[in-house]
Amino acid sequence: MAGKVVELSDSTFDKFVESNKVVMVDCWAAWCRPCLMLAPVVEELAEELAGKVGVAKLNVDENPGISMRFGISAIPTMLVFKDGVMKEPLVGVRPKAEIKNYLMSL
Amino acid sequence: MDADVTIIGMGPAGLQAAIHSSRKKAKTLVLGKMENSAIYPTELENYLGYRGGSGKELLASGAEQARSFGASLLQEDVISVEKAEGGFILRLESGKEVKSKALVFAPGISRKKLNIPGEKEFFGKGVSYCATCDCNFYKEKPVAIIGEASEAASSAELMTHYASKVYWVAKELKANQNMVDMALGAGANLVQSQPKTVRGDQKVTGLELEDGTVLEVNGVFIELGSRSSADLAMDVGVLPDPEGHLKVDEECGTGVEGVFACGDITGKPWQLARAVGQGAVAGLNAASYARSG
Ligand SMILES: Cc1cc2nc3c(=O)[nH]c(=O)nc-3n(C[C@H](O)[C@H](O)[C@H](O)COP(=O)(O)OP(=O)(O)OC[C@H]3O[C@@H](n4cnc5c(N)ncnc54)[C@H](O)[C@@H]3O)c2cc1C
Repeated sequence: MAGKVVELSDSTFDKFVESNKVVMVDCWAAWCRPCLMLAPVVEELAEELAGKVGVAKLNVDENPGISMRFGISAIPTMLVFKDGVMKEPLVGVRPKAEIKNYLMSL
Repeated sequence: MDADVTIIGMGPAGLQAAIHSSRKKAKTLVLGKMENSAIYPTELENYLGYRGGSGKELLASGAEQARSFGASLLQEDVISVEKAEGGFILRLESGKEVKSKALVFAPGISRKKLNIPGEKEFFGKGVSYCATCDCNFYKEKPVAIIGEASEAASSAELMTHYASKVYWVAKELKANQNMVDMALGAGANLVQSQPKTVRGDQKVTGLELEDGTVLEVNGVFIELGSRSSADLAMDVGVLPDPEGHLKVDEECGTGVEGVFACGDITGKPWQLARAVGQGAVAGLNAASYARSG
């Protein structure tokens, strides 16, 4: 799956976070226009950071459990984890360089 | 109302596009508010032939020039656009509909920020800039919408279908009466005041107003200005980049048939000379497209 964005659900989320050193999960929904703007950036990041960061996405509409657990109230939100520990999430559409720099700084 | 070419934006890019489109004998309509153009309140510094001079005068004279070639100008925001047979249908804030063969996006970029304490800190923790994205997270919770123009009115109306209570905080109303009636008719409560601070602990708990009153809300939606150009572009299938810019080719085409773009919305440098240069290209090509179809 290297280089691809992994699609997560409420039930596959924890295992993914545990099995990657650094993880970024793009929480999105189909009705959210800014999420659609961010999607191509997330795909590029998955390719560019393959082997370094596990890049995934989660549809909040279909998986309310994770959004409740992390108190997500605005999308897109990128949840970020290192060694299974949650780091400051990134909220809103961000330029690719900013996301990449943040993930590489962890 | 019918047009060959409809231009979204009454700044320098849109007006230049209108001049070139109407001179090509395309029936041209320009929509937007001249006073919302980035150049309106400024003094010109580096535009060819203008050493000093006001943006307002440049726009007023450009608008006259566009009218003299037959373009129609309507000081209204566009609320939505959709593809339709033979072109596009635009819905305006007054409720009017326009059918157009070609579209030119010239909406500039939004520089509006509220900049009140708590806004940044609680972004994603109760502060949102997109009611359509985040409405679902506020089911049965009280929220405030901040903004005076059409976007705030639409969001206030939308949130009445989700939230337990909707306050619409606007010192002055700049939205069309039709939009105001829609929001208030749906049950939004207008609070004519200036927001001062977003309050909260881990999450938003309230919005403090200039007179010290605190509205107890869990969500604060900041919706300044008109419907975002990114949203309008996506209505017709043009995907903006993460900075909100629309990519264009040499013809100022967006990749979607019949849709052109010019000015600040297409990228940097955000300058008058670039805006009018692209305006001319977009106007000419939109007119050719509309008249050949
Ligand atoms: C303080 C300041 C000083 C500047 N000084 C200079 C200078 O000296 N020289 C220079 O070259 N440039 C200068 N600029 C930049 C210049 O103002 C912009 O490059 C130029 O105005 C861009 O033109 P535009 O037509 O693309 O967008 P704008 O002029 O911003 O016009 C956008 C138009 O779109 C309309 N619009 C937006 N959304 C909607 C909607 N939903 N429906 C309908 N209409 C909509 C607005 O109402 C407005 O009429 C300055 C900018 C600022 C902020």
